[in-house]
Amino acid sequence: MAATGQLKPNQFLLEVAGMPGGERITACIQCGTCSGSCPTSYRMDYTPRKLLTMVRAGLKERVLQSEAIWLCASCYSCSVRCPRGVVITDLMYALKNLAIQQGFVPKKAVAYNFYSSFNRVVEDVGRLNERRLITRFALKTDPAKLIKFAPLGLKLLVRGRLAVFPPSLKNKKEFKRMIARGKGGGGK
Amino acid sequence: MQEKIGVYICHCGSNIAATVDVERVAKEAGGWDQVAVARDYKYMCSDPGQELIKKDIRELGLSRVVVAACSPRMHEPTFRRALEQAGINGYLLEMANIREQCSWISMDDHASTAKAISLTRAAVRRVVHHRPIHEREVPVNNATMVVGGGISGIQAALQIAQAGYPVYLIEREPSIGGHMAKFDKTFPTMDCAACILTPKMVSVNQDPNIKLLTCSEVVHVDGYVGNFKVKVKKRPRYVEEHLCTGCGDCESACILKGKILSEFDMGLSKRSAAYIPFPQAVPLKAVIDAKNCLMLTKGKCSKACAKACQREAINFSQQEEVIDLEVGSIILATGYDLFDPTQGPQWGYGTYDNVLTGLQFERMTNASGPTQGKILMKDGREPRRVAIMHCIGSRDENYHKHCSRVCCMSSVKFAHLVKEKLDAEVYEFYIDMRTFGKQYEEFYNRVQEEGVNFIRGKAAEVTEIDGQLTVRAEDTLLGAYREIPVDMVILNTALVPRHDTDKVSQIFGVSRSADGFFLESHIKLDPVTTTTDGIHLAGCCQSPKDIPDSVAQGSAAAAQSLAVIATGKVKISPITASIDQEFCAGCKMCIGGCPFKAITFNEDAKVSTVNQAVCKGCGTCGAICPSGAIAIAHFSDQQIFAQIEGVCSQ
Repeated sequence: MAATGQLKPNQFLLEVAGMPGGERITACIQCGTCSGSCPTSYRMDYTPRKLLTMVRAGLKERVLQSEAIWLCASCYSCSVRCPRGVVITDLMYALKNLAIQQGFVPKKAVAYNFYSSFNRVVEDVGRLNERRLITRFALKTDPAKLIKFAPLGLKLLVRGRLAVFPPSLKNKKEFKRMIARGKGGGGK
Repeated sequence: MQEKIGVYICHCGSNIAATVDVERVAKEAGGWDQVAVARDYKYMCSDPGQELIKKDIRELGLSRVVVAACSPRMHEPTFRRALEQAGINGYLLEMANIREQCSWISMDDHASTAKAISLTRAAVRRVVHHRPIHEREVPVNNATMVVGGGISGIQAALQIAQAGYPVYLIEREPSIGGHMAKFDKTFPTMDCAACILTPKMVSVNQDPNIKLLTCSEVVHVDGYVGNFKVKVKKRPRYVEEHLCTGCGDCESACILKGKILSEFDMGLSKRSAAYIPFPQAVPLKAVIDAKNCLMLTKGKCSKACAKACQREAINFSQQEEVIDLEVGSIILATGYDLFDPTQGPQWGYGTYDNVLTGLQFERMTNASGPTQGKILMKDGREPRRVAIMHCIGSRDENYHKHCSRVCCMSSVKFAHLVKEKLDAEVYEFYIDMRTFGKQYEEFYNRVQEEGVNFIRGKAAEVTEIDGQLTVRAEDTLLGAYREIPVDMVILNTALVPRHDTDKVSQIFGVSRSADGFFLESHIKLDPVTTTTDGIHLAGCCQSPKDIPDSVAQGSAAAAQSLAVIATGKVKISPITASIDQEFCAGCKMCIGGCPFKAITFNEDAKVSTVNQAVCKGCGTCGAICPSGAIAIAHFSDQQIFAQIEGVCSQ
């Protein structure tokens, strides 16, 4: 007798496989070269290899909620050494994007908020302003950090390594238009 | 003239019938001009299928037959034979390939059926113009040339010699034995490589039917199955083989003694410029290394070797010679190279002491090796922790995609040898454990019980942490990253095609597969022959193999060669080119175009002529000839044009 029941396609796998970095996800032979080469895998909740097989198993929530995808340092060691040509670093970016788009990132997630604060500051000021970055990052995650960072900030200030009035970009309007265009938001 | 054509459409089980409406094809064909009968049948190649054709030929008086089935490479000979058995010439057959070129490449029933009809119609139009032609027989030279004196070449040579036929065994190195001669023990039974190999090597030397040529390479091959003409370049040994007794006095006397890295010991020991390759070498004769010998490179030396030789065997004036051989068949047993692990700096080979290749480890554990069988680190201490790494250069898109097949077992063997000789921890890093051969899984189980740590995960890198050699890897079964401190690392490197495979493939006219190894006729059903008749393959030059498989293929190649030789004659295809002397303008363009050197120029008549025995019927000359003087039997313009019209018409 034939087996009954409808076979459900693994939507999560199809979704990831269709993103840049996901193309060769089915080629993975689970050898672990990626995790063995990774400078941060020892801190990850799931190793890169395991994340990959979890995608193939359709464990969407566990993958997109995992801390591991935010720990990738983008060193590309895994991608260079992968014997099956999987570009794991790009796959990690794909998973990060999915996690953000589909609301899997906790509001106070450290790595996510650091990235987003960084981008926000650069977009606002036109260049990196460390004071604003740390302030924003702390307010988004844990305001107590402001107190923790204060002594360091003072020391840097005394040495002249932290500007009180940091320089801004001259033609901010042009820069904003550039960013908008890069994001596909039009602008001439 | 009106022909009577029989058309037969094969279902090939469901291979064709699942996508092609075979009954419709037969029905259509039945209505075509000159078609006397059209049938479809489940398996045309089966006995009843062939009988169907034979019966129709006899009873209906068919004069031509079309079979629409698989590729003619599969069954053209089968159906030709059926025609002959029914009393008509086998070349009055045409096959339409409606499987590989039709049903297998489309899921669209309608399109497949339309294409099958079209191809069958083309075959019907063509077959009308077929003419009876006859295969010819040419005598065969009963000698075989075996190229490569490793275990598979040795096996092949011995087998043919045993059957009573002459063999030339060509070896590039000064001694036969190949890689196997360097090994220590052999899996799964752990008998020593030398103990089982050297008796065969000695037999080669003693067999009156075998002529061994060492320091020799094939530089040119001409001719065809049954009648190859070969040129072999023999490098000077600078030692007269008939005088040398292999005593080794020259080796001891050489002023470069202990200065040159030994190839046999994989650079783990040093030798003289005049040396005996290894104690069991065959022939057991000294050789002088022309790259390093002071006399041969600088012309200045005290010639201590020559003075030490009591037999006066050393001869610095020996010259390279070219030897002409005539043989009926050829066996290629040219072996493999090992992957160079310096290509992956992450493995630390060449950077850290105590990172060895598998073959270096074989030499080290070999009782006659550089350390007399002791496993030692560079500083002379015994290692307490040893890592063995699988798949170095194998199964890796960055290097070689293929699995090298022997490394799992040799790695398990290394682990066993370390455990046997030392009180040491062994860590084996593998991706998949492939212990597929007879008694292999049992051997793996035995070594597991010896307490070896098998870690499922490819070792990602070898590094030094605080002066301690460390392997970094993921233990994938744990799902955890690990750093394992070790004293010694053994890299089990891939078996890869010889560096000069391309040159060799051109000399012999054999093809290569995508992995770079020589290409067999059929990966499953004909893994020993090549697409060049009379040239057979044995051992790792076809693909990586362990010793049992290399020996088996050596014997198989010998059987193939004996099949060529034993009948004393070989059938030559009648599909050859011929030149109409009346039209030939003598431009010689065909001579340059012929890939088989089959065309010669007749100076008296000022025209070119084709040697029918050498011609392969490829048709190149016919396309080149500006005066249209060249015709290819069975591929006349009339036949081809009729076939094209058949495809194009409705």
